[in-house]
Order: sequence, then structure tokens, then C-alpha cells
Amino acid sequence: MEFDFSPIFENWRYLRDGLLITISLSVLSIIAASILGGAIGLARVYGPRWLAGVLAFYVDSARSIPALVVLIWMYFAFPLMVGISLPPFWAAFIALSAYIAAYISEIVRGGVLSIRSGQTRAAKALGMSQNQTILKIILPQAVVRILPQYGNMLSITVKNSAICSVIAVPDYLQNSGIVAAQTYRPLEIYTVALIVYIAMILPLTRSTDWLYSRLSHLGRS
Amino acid sequence: MNLDWSIVWEYRWAFLFGVMNTVLLAVVTMLVAIPGGIVIMLMRNSPVRALRGIATVYVETFRATPLILLVYWIFYVMPRFGVHLPPFLTGVVALSLIVSAYNSETFRAGVNSIRKGQSDAGLALGMSKWQLQVKVILPQALRRVLPAFSNTWVSLFKDTSLVSVIAVSELSYVSLQARAESFRIFEILTAMAAIYWCLGYPQAKLVDWLNRKYEVKE
Amino acid sequence: MSRMDHQRNAIGKPPIVTYNNVEKCYGDFTALNGVTAEVNRGEVVCLIGPSGSGKSTLLRCTNALEQINGGEIIFDGAPLPKGENNVRLVRRRMGMVFQSFELFPHMTAIENINCAPVTVLGMPKREAEELSYSLLKKVGLVEKAHSYPSMLSGGQQQRIAIARALAMGPEVMLFDEPTSALDPETVGEVLSVMSDLAGEGMTMIVVTHEMSFARRVSDWIMVFDKGRVIEEGRPDNIFKHPTEGRTKEFLRHVGVEV
Repeated sequence: MEFDFSPIFENWRYLRDGLLITISLSVLSIIAASILGGAIGLARVYGPRWLAGVLAFYVDSARSIPALVVLIWMYFAFPLMVGISLPPFWAAFIALSAYIAAYISEIVRGGVLSIRSGQTRAAKALGMSQNQTILKIILPQAVVRILPQYGNMLSITVKNSAICSVIAVPDYLQNSGIVAAQTYRPLEIYTVALIVYIAMILPLTRSTDWLYSRLSHLGRS
Repeated sequence: MNLDWSIVWEYRWAFLFGVMNTVLLAVVTMLVAIPGGIVIMLMRNSPVRALRGIATVYVETFRATPLILLVYWIFYVMPRFGVHLPPFLTGVVALSLIVSAYNSETFRAGVNSIRKGQSDAGLALGMSKWQLQVKVILPQALRRVLPAFSNTWVSLFKDTSLVSVIAVSELSYVSLQARAESFRIFEILTAMAAIYWCLGYPQAKLVDWLNRKYEVKE
Repeated sequence: MSRMDHQRNAIGKPPIVTYNNVEKCYGDFTALNGVTAEVNRGEVVCLIGPSGSGKSTLLRCTNALEQINGGEIIFDGAPLPKGENNVRLVRRRMGMVFQSFELFPHMTAIENINCAPVTVLGMPKREAEELSYSLLKKVGLVEKAHSYPSMLSGGQQQRIAIARALAMGPEVMLFDEPTSALDPETVGEVLSVMSDLAGEGMTMIVVTHEMSFARRVSDWIMVFDKGRVIEEGRPDNIFKHPTEGRTKEFLRHVGVEV
């Protein structure tokens, strides 16, 4: 069997554009998901009870449904409901952000709850308001503690971005698939894709493991 | 927007067939990935350096691989090597490769979390290595492992949907087929999401319960 | 070094454990640097001395949880065997109690006690249960038979751990700082179980920081320093008239007037 990597060189601009879409989709989604997830997580701990209940239902639902299903629904069904059509990239962005936000909110909530209640009482005893307590005492401790799990979400986001090819987002996987089909060179194209994805994700998982080992002593106080 | 939900009922047998295949995929994969994970864990804890190396590379690689790409790779590339797997089997292989990697990490954490004093205590009572594993280490490791393992199960259950890209007739694929046939896009896709929700929501709750029950307290 | 032997409970029988020039290293660190000593049947021997002086290591070498690097340990007339299966035969004849209890958290108190007789000795379940109850009675915890370790206090856990070791019918009991991890108020209940055991004539080797227990209950004291036995003798002699400077220093450090 012979290998022919020339289709990759001939189509490198097209593949590169796909890679840029993969990266920008991942970065935008993780930023939006972090903001949304942080807000949901804090609202579930400190917000009014009815809001916490609604958000809990949202989070548990996102945990119950596959990312693919959320994507497909967001791209094909949601526009029918609201009467506007969404370009694939933005449908993917909304679906991924909403999906990842649910997981991030769980991490944030767990981090906040892991700080002993004695810390809150100590801050109150010093005369701090609830907002001051959250901002000055709880969050700084919680943020350090959740870093490893948060790092885990970065690699999951990149992996989930590949699913967006299913709704024809012109990402790296989608473009690789098109080149593979046109050139009849799936072996070379998909193997290179595998290497490229691993090269993107491996540093994220490795640094997450490193964070885990560095921060493991913090544990639960 | 006028909706006709009766279409969902018309496709009830297709949905049921999809659900059965989804469950079958997840169960068969886990049946492969539990022994797979144990073997890789034993390799990673082995005194033989080469085995440790192979297992580490395996775990690191598959933890960093998007499942959907692995599915494509096995489906389109393996035939070039003369290996023609039917779609269902392709899905099982891809899922098992990745879930085995996750399981091995879960099992390793469980076994390594048992304090050395526990094996000392067992040995001091005259237990053999085998009795020690069966009576003392494994029962404790299993409890430690249950929460993370149940998480992996729920992820696996959801990830089976990605096998739809190579036309395995699980729930996602049959739903997309029904959508294309009936043109009732909103109803069919919403029904698909609802069915996944009905299957996944109790599982997510069960995971939370296991996490609370077996949370490591020391 | 060693005091005259005729001062000791010499009852004419050979010692149950003999240490001949035992050495043990961890990498560059020498934990035991030539320990030579004897333990007779029916004797309570307390090992005292500063932390890291090798007391616990000697105990762990005694039932081969650690392999020695030099010298020999003779148990009941024969050197400790090599090889997993033979070592197990010896371990069955010694009970060990750990500083951190090491009860099996997934078993109830009674299951902890009858686990080893059933699995290791192949004792019928019913017989093992009867044995376990008699031991629970002995340590005063019959009412806790079906409690899990996490529901018991430290002192109760350690008493169960003693019962667990006794269930194997050991000829010698090894205690590795059995009260060091306990709350002060529960130390007494464990020491009293140990005193009762000593009163029944059980051979005991006890690593301890409880000086009053060592003084009151033991027949023989060995003082450790830097991996050696620097001094040994009857408790009265050691506590009233220590000869070594390091012994005096240690005793003063733990608050014993000499």
C-alpha cells in the first residue's frame, strides 16, 4: 500500500480555514460558556429558590441529552420555532455554549460549596456583606480549587466542536471529510486530522493533569 | 407554525427500534470496556516498564481523541488495511477504545486510593495476595470507583449518538431518517430530544445520588 | 549494653522471638542498625525511644511486612521464612495492631473480626461468629457487633482491631503505637484491654509513648535510639536508674523524672 499526502498540501488553505473555524468556535464557546456557567452556578447557590430550581432543571436536562441532539435541534428545529434561520456556525456556537455552560455551572457550584461554611461565618463576623464575602473570601478560594476540572472542560469543548461538522459547520473535521471524499485519500486525510486534534487536545489534558497533581493537596477543607 | 404531533406516534416503532439500538450499543461497549479498562490499569501499574509505557500512551492518546473523528477513521481508513467492519461494530470498537481509556483511569484512581495500611492489615492477618485483593482492596475500590464509573456510563450513553454519522440505526439516526421522510422537522427532532431526556434524566439523577452516597469522606 | 539475663523472667524456655544483629535500610536511611534482642514467652516487652528511632520498623520486620537487609529474626526457633506462603504461616501466629486501626471500612465490627478466621483458617462461619462474640465481650463491645467502623470512636475501633488480631489465636501480639492516634479520653479504654491481655499471659511487643503503661504493665523495656537498642532492662531500673545519657535525655523529654 502506498501513501499519498499530496491532497493535504494541495488543499492546505481549505484545511487551515477549517482549523481556524474549529479554534474560533472552541474559544468563543468556552468564553460564553464560562460567563453563563459561572452565573448559573452562583445563582444556584446564592439566588432565590425558584430560580435555583429552574436552573437545576436546565442543568440536569443538559446533562441528560447528547451534545449532538442539542446541536441538531438548535440548527434545524429552533429556527422553525422563532422564525429566523441561524447560520451553522452561530447555531453551533449557541448550542455548544449552552451545553458546556451547564457543566461549568456544576463545577462552579461544587467549588463554592466545597468552601467550609466557617469561612462565610468568619467573613460575616468581620462585618462583610454577602457580596463582599462571595467576592473576597469564597470565589478566590473556589477558583483555585476548580481549575483542574475547568481545564477538563477546555478539552471537552474542542472535542465537542468536532461534532458541529454534522450540521455542516465548515470546521476542520468537516473540511477534512470533504477533501477525503473528493480525493479518495481518507487514510492520509483522517490520520492527519487525528494527529492535529490530538496535538490540540493533548496539551490541554496534560496541563489539566499537572494542575490536579499540584492542587490535589487543597482537597476539601 | 402549525404542528402535527401525531407524526411522532406514527414513527413510534422506529423510535423504539432506535432506543433499543442505543441501549444495546452502550451495554455492549461497556461489557468490552470494563475488562479493557482493567487490563490497561494493570498494565499501568505493572512493574514492566514497556507495558507501563504502552498503556500510558494508549490512555493519553484516546483521552485526547474526539470520538466522532475516531468513528470516521475506523469506518473509512480501516478498509484500506483490509478490515471491513459493519457500522454497528465500528461504533462498538470506537466507543470501546475511548471508554476503556477512561475506565482504566477510574479504576486506577480507585485502587490507588486505598491506603497502604489496609493491605498491611490484611497481610498481618495472614491473607494471601489474592485474598487481600478480593476481601479488602477490591470491595473498597469498587465503592470509590462507582461515582466516576457511573459518570462515564452516562457519557457513553450520550456519546452513542455520534455513531449516527456512519448510519448505525440508533436513536439519533432513526430520528434524522424520520425527519427526512416526514418533513415534520420540529416535531420529530423535539421528540428525539425528549426521548433522550427521558432516558438520560433518571441516569443523571442516579449519578448524583451515587456521588452523594459514596463521596469519599476521610 | 544488655543487663544480666538472670534479672529477666527466665523460665528456662527458648525465647519466642530473637533478633540477631538486624539491619534495615530505606535507600540511604538506616532504620535499624544492628538490633540484637530477645522476647520470651509470656513477656510484655515495651519498645520506647524517640520518633524515627526504629521501633515501629522492628515491629514491621517481625512479621515480615518489611524485609530485613541484614542479620536474622528467629521466631519460635526458626528464622523468618522467605516466600509468600511460608511467611503467611508465620503471620497467622502473630497478631498486629496498627496505630491507625486499619479496620476494613466496608465490614461491620463482627465481620472485621471473623473475616480472617474464615478466609485464612477456613473456620466454619458459625464457629467464627461464636469466637467473634466472645472476643467482642472481652473488649467490651458486644453491642457494637453490627456497627461499621465509621460509626465507632477511635478507642472503640482500636478495641475491635485488637479483637480482630486475637481472633487468629496468635502466640504473640505486636502493638504499633496503638494509642497514638486516639483522643485522650479514649486512650484509657484501649490500655485497659491491653493490660487485661497482659494479665492473661499473652506475649506482647508494644511500641508506645505511654510511659506510665510501659512502667506499670511491661516486664521488660528496650530503649531505641538511631536504629539501635541502647539500653534494656526491667521497667523500674530503666525509669529510676537509666545508665545511658540518651535514655535520660529521652525520659526527661517525655516528662519522666529520673
